[in-house]
Amino acid sequence: MKSSHFFKILNIAVLSFIFFTFKIYAIESIDERVKNLTLELRCMTCQNQSIYDSDAEFSNDIKKIVKQKLQEGESERDIKKFLVERYGEYILFRPLMNNYNVFLWIFPFILLIFGVFFVLIKTKRKKV
Amino acid sequence: MSSLVGFLSLVFAIGINFYLFLSGYIFKFQIQKFNLLIRFSSLLTLLSFFSLMYAYLVSDFSNYNVFQNSHSNKPLIYKISGTWGNHEGSMLLWLSILSIFSFFFSFTKNIDENFQRLTLIIQSLLHILFGLFIVFTSNPFLVNSILVNEGLGLNPILQDPGLAVHPPILYAGYVGYSIVFSIAIAGLFQDTDVEWLYVAKKWSLISWTFLTGGIALGSYWAYYELGWGGWWFWDPVENISLMPWIAGLALVHSLMMVRGEQAIKKWIIFLSILCFSLSVFGTFLVRSGILTSVHSFAADASRGIFILLIFFIVTGFGFLIFLLKEPQKSNALNLLFINKVSALVINNILMIIATLTILLGTIYPIIIEVLYNKRISVGGPYFNSTVIPIMIPGFLLMSIAPILSWQTNKIQNSKKYVLGFIVLSILVLIHSYFLDYNTWGFVGLLLGFWIILASIIAIFSTYKFKFTIKFFQIINPHIAHIGVGIAIVGITCSSVFQNELDFNLNEGDEFNVNGKTVLFEKIETTNQINFQALRGKFLFDIEKNQSKKIEAGKNYYPVSKMITSEAGILHQWNKDIYFILGDQKNNEWFVKVLINPFVSFIWLGVIIMMYSGLIAVSRR
Repeated sequence: MKSSHFFKILNIAVLSFIFFTFKIYAIESIDERVKNLTLELRCMTCQNQSIYDSDAEFSNDIKKIVKQKLQEGESERDIKKFLVERYGEYILFRPLMNNYNVFLWIFPFILLIFGVFFVLIKTKRKKV
Repeated sequence: MSSLVGFLSLVFAIGINFYLFLSGYIFKFQIQKFNLLIRFSSLLTLLSFFSLMYAYLVSDFSNYNVFQNSHSNKPLIYKISGTWGNHEGSMLLWLSILSIFSFFFSFTKNIDENFQRLTLIIQSLLHILFGLFIVFTSNPFLVNSILVNEGLGLNPILQDPGLAVHPPILYAGYVGYSIVFSIAIAGLFQDTDVEWLYVAKKWSLISWTFLTGGIALGSYWAYYELGWGGWWFWDPVENISLMPWIAGLALVHSLMMVRGEQAIKKWIIFLSILCFSLSVFGTFLVRSGILTSVHSFAADASRGIFILLIFFIVTGFGFLIFLLKEPQKSNALNLLFINKVSALVINNILMIIATLTILLGTIYPIIIEVLYNKRISVGGPYFNSTVIPIMIPGFLLMSIAPILSWQTNKIQNSKKYVLGFIVLSILVLIHSYFLDYNTWGFVGLLLGFWIILASIIAIFSTYKFKFTIKFFQIINPHIAHIGVGIAIVGITCSSVFQNELDFNLNEGDEFNVNGKTVLFEKIETTNQINFQALRGKFLFDIEKNQSKKIEAGKNYYPVSKMITSEAGILHQWNKDIYFILGDQKNNEWFVKVLINPFVSFIWLGVIIMMYSGLIAVSRR
């Protein structure tokens, strides 16, 4: 078998499995949502710890607030907005996509596009 | 007295390096004499380092550095490690390791005499720069102006065997790239043949292996000492060590291409300069204090500015020569879809993208703070959603890359791989269907196991097993990749499938962890040499005769008035059970138990990678 076939099959296999995996999207419980959200928040009184990982008083308070707000039906986005208003953007480990941070977010993908172009241009079209 | 010896030998060593540096251009002398002088200056630097260590050993508080960072009742091992547990001492350690590398490099055989001399001259220049930095801004031999009988003590968090050996090993990795840097620069001046590339390869493998060990020790320490059950946080300090590691990995891989007679010297030289620049830049970021806040940088700017200056000299000088003295046009790359060369090129591109992304993410908060006076965090979620997806194609490629051919795009036994991949995918799918489903878990497990499986297929279908050194050298790339696969499985399981249990307990309570009964025996406080220990004692699996004892608690260090947490970890081959003792409230103790599956695989994977690094050094 030629390798190009091999890679076609490989590609199809990978893509279909990735697609399939996104299809079965599990519904998360409140506790899991609290965990996922607090993992992305900085404990302001500790050194480089997430609120989820920390047992500091500050973290425990925020965990309670987050849980309460989720139970009241607020979205993750609203809760983050609330926390940013109260503590500043420093609390978010995942930087917001705004004018300041747009470069941060698109930079890796610009590099990736350059990389792909480089390989495509340099690759010989002729098969040996 | 020892401080005086240390200081004088340090200054003398710098002086010799000045002489050597100038002599390279003004009056040349024999290489033998040159090498002898290099070795002599290395020994002097080491003498300086050991006299500082001696001052720590005998608790000589007339030395200001010892007074600031040591205490007479510290255990012996922490008196030794206290030497590099502070800024000044760690910079002296940095310089000493630089000297050690020069020392050993001066013994290199089968290398052009002038080339060796030039490399060592560049090493001398680095020695001078860092030596002057130590003398002028971070002198560990200052005299204490007041008479004291006791020191201020070492930061308790550093009083740990893992962290005692972590800095020397990590620095051996960082500083090892100095020799690679010097070789590359020398290669720009004297581009005679490809011989120097093989020398560069050996040294970059050595550095990379040390760096791997250093990073692993650091994260293992974070795992059991910081007490939150994780081992990697994308903390700026961690990112700094990861950048030269990935760049060094790219370097090692592109040096492979030399064997395929496809010398891409330009790129190799670029990577060599990059690796060392990243090491120096990392030192700058950590040592200047700029990471905690831009303002703490301003508080003591002299050090930061001095290292920044060294960084600009090293990087600027390196890249300037690189631009001026570009090597002759090398052979065109034989890129096919898909052969070994294109796989290596793709691997290099992805690694560089990952390195630059980590670099940007690490310094972005500093940029924003300087420009807009606004504090932001760039943490794990950012790196997880940029770096990891970018690396995934690389991981896929890695599984089969070693058996790809240099010349053609044919793959031997490709059917076996397709079959293997399909079977594996179905197995992982079934696994994730019946257990907790998680997208990252699915992708990670599939990737990890696929790399392991493909490498094993490759070994058994390509080579005949022989129990000889040569055989192990030949299959070494596959072994290295199996190590990565094992580490990926460990990383995925321990981060995605971690389980947390919280309890509020009284002494004597029994509780259930993972189907096993655990007894919370008692709380005990003891007085150790330099701390007080509070320990919760647990008996794991009391139904069995050989139940395991676990102790989790806290230490209180009276000298520095600090509390550290001490997690109790029960290691099993397929999971770690991680006990954290929290605070006491209403007569009940808060106990957190984490079940971290397959953590041991991470360390196993790392050990395999380091083993491969060493084997690769032995192979030409």
